[in-house]
Amino acid sequence: MSKVKPTPLPPDTMIGGYRVIRKVAAGGFGVVYLALDSEGQKVAVKEYLPSSLATRAPGELRPQVASEKLSLYRLGLKSFFEEGRSLAQISHPSVVSVMNFFRENETVYMVMNYLEGAALQDFIITARDLKQQKVFRESTIRSLFDEILRGLRIVHQHKMLHLDIKPANIFITDDNKSVLIDFGAAREVLSKEGNFIRPMYTPGFAAPEMYRRDASMGPWTDIYAIGACIYACMQGYPPNEAPQRLEKDRIAIALARLRGVYSDNLIEVVEWCMALDPLSRPQSVFALQKELSREGERRYTKLSVGEKVRLQFDTMVSDTKKSVKNVTGFGGKTK
Amino acid sequence: MKFSVFQLSRKGGRPKNEDRMGYCYTRGAGIFLLADGMGGHPEGEVAAQLALQSFSASFQKEAQPEVADVTAFLQTALMSAHRQILRYAIEQSILDTPRTTLVAVLVQGGCATWIHSGDSRLYLVRDGELLARTRDHSYMEQPVTEATAKKAPGRFNRNILFTCLGSPTKPVFDVTGPVALRQGDKVMLCSDGLWGSLNDIEIVYELGQKAVTQAAPDLVEKALAKAGNSSDNVTVIAFEWETPDASESALGGVSTDSINDGVFASTVQAGWIDTGVDDLNDAEIERSIAEINEAIRRTAARRG
Repeated sequence: MSKVKPTPLPPDTMIGGYRVIRKVAAGGFGVVYLALDSEGQKVAVKEYLPSSLATRAPGELRPQVASEKLSLYRLGLKSFFEEGRSLAQISHPSVVSVMNFFRENETVYMVMNYLEGAALQDFIITARDLKQQKVFRESTIRSLFDEILRGLRIVHQHKMLHLDIKPANIFITDDNKSVLIDFGAAREVLSKEGNFIRPMYTPGFAAPEMYRRDASMGPWTDIYAIGACIYACMQGYPPNEAPQRLEKDRIAIALARLRGVYSDNLIEVVEWCMALDPLSRPQSVFALQKELSREGERRYTKLSVGEKVRLQFDTMVSDTKKSVKNVTGFGGKTK
Repeated sequence: MKFSVFQLSRKGGRPKNEDRMGYCYTRGAGIFLLADGMGGHPEGEVAAQLALQSFSASFQKEAQPEVADVTAFLQTALMSAHRQILRYAIEQSILDTPRTTLVAVLVQGGCATWIHSGDSRLYLVRDGELLARTRDHSYMEQPVTEATAKKAPGRFNRNILFTCLGSPTKPVFDVTGPVALRQGDKVMLCSDGLWGSLNDIEIVYELGQKAVTQAAPDLVEKALAKAGNSSDNVTVIAFEWETPDASESALGGVSTDSINDGVFASTVQAGWIDTGVDDLNDAEIERSIAEINEAIRRTAARRG
């Protein structure tokens, strides 16, 4: 939408007993601030401020909502509450936790623990720029996703889907913990609340069923995104978008190039997670965890000469295409 | 496609509001809907909501981003909404089926085409003049009634509808258009709560004089005031075609250019059991916040 974004609250603004230090992020649903609580502890405060429905002039505290957008604004508020309600029930080191929820300035705020560190996305970009054969070591990938999957399993147990898992929403703290953040896209599955229907997805990480309009989503939808994240950790780039794959699927070729670099098992896991048919993927996080944590010697099958020639030919063709059309990076959300 | 749109529904003196309205659009087409669930039969509000949902689902499926055959689409969508209501009645074992009126206008390629069944109306106003209005499917509005009315003079309720969606007999409907829209044309859909207390002259005057974002709420207010405590529910959805300043930031402005191909935007709510047109009110917001904080405390206690 081509309109002015609502102004974030300036530093030193007091909200609900928290002092704003600075804005750290802004998304469709609102703004996240770094703030200090009364004891000087750092917290993250998320303000409900949908940029398409509310405005706020510089210097103002209260957002303005045009009367005809009010009912959508309040529907969005319901989703914001759903996010808070679900996260409030979850206490897991791999899922961002909610500490407080309050109303002020005619909007609502969610207080979460503040994480020091960086998003997985930043790590991938740094690692891939080193131009080494492996972006991440296999053991790093396995332990990172083992933690994330433990958290995701709890999320699914609460009948909730994340629906926007991507490297930008996996946070690696300075003390080496990985945490799932930004549940803004999450909706409780069982009670599908009426909503302003606008599909929200991140190309490359969104499963094909998120593009289709009436398909049923489930744990397998988040599992597709997990597969895509592992893929990005191996390749340094996100996989092709699902619609593109439906036309011509190059994932198998791309993964074949990694043979010998990563174990056959890891490559197979990614292929399994990223199956275009939802039913062909692991149906639960548990099933995936079992496969990913499988002990035993890892097999590395090197490519045969014939396969190498074919891949090289393929690279030549696709490189030509790449120089024509720039490769997309880690895209933002498409709304 | 650019338009400004305004929708509003107010409960009159009735125990519940059985009116429903909404609109959806893709990059190339838009549909505006209004349904008035009928009293005297059970669950009118469900019938109205189902009609809207079914219609918007049909639109979502067909508009890629335009509808191939507008007239055929409107007829099929209306019939499938009708069947949806009947199916619901069967599933719920409701002997007397829920019923609703429906009026829908589809806009694409600069033309408007509309369909209606019952007495919810469409008004098309150009340059302050009434260009078109739907004719209600009531004995009062339809010429066929003359003979029937003579048979039982006096005892005949001329306001009675002879068709709607959800009745066991096949609905009667009329399709009008396509009408090429011009910049500044105003199209309004309304329930009988509006036209029952305001006459066409008043309605056209308001629409002709003001922007829809102003005219629509004013009309609703007038109708409610005029009908007083016994007022029916009053619902309108109105849009103005290609308002020069209908940028997204302007009040009610919608530009479908801002959405991508394959994307669909809708104000029609998906769930109907507990949704309806009621918003979260202050008390509910406070309650939600209290519940969330209670859950946070419980979780923290479990952790500690």
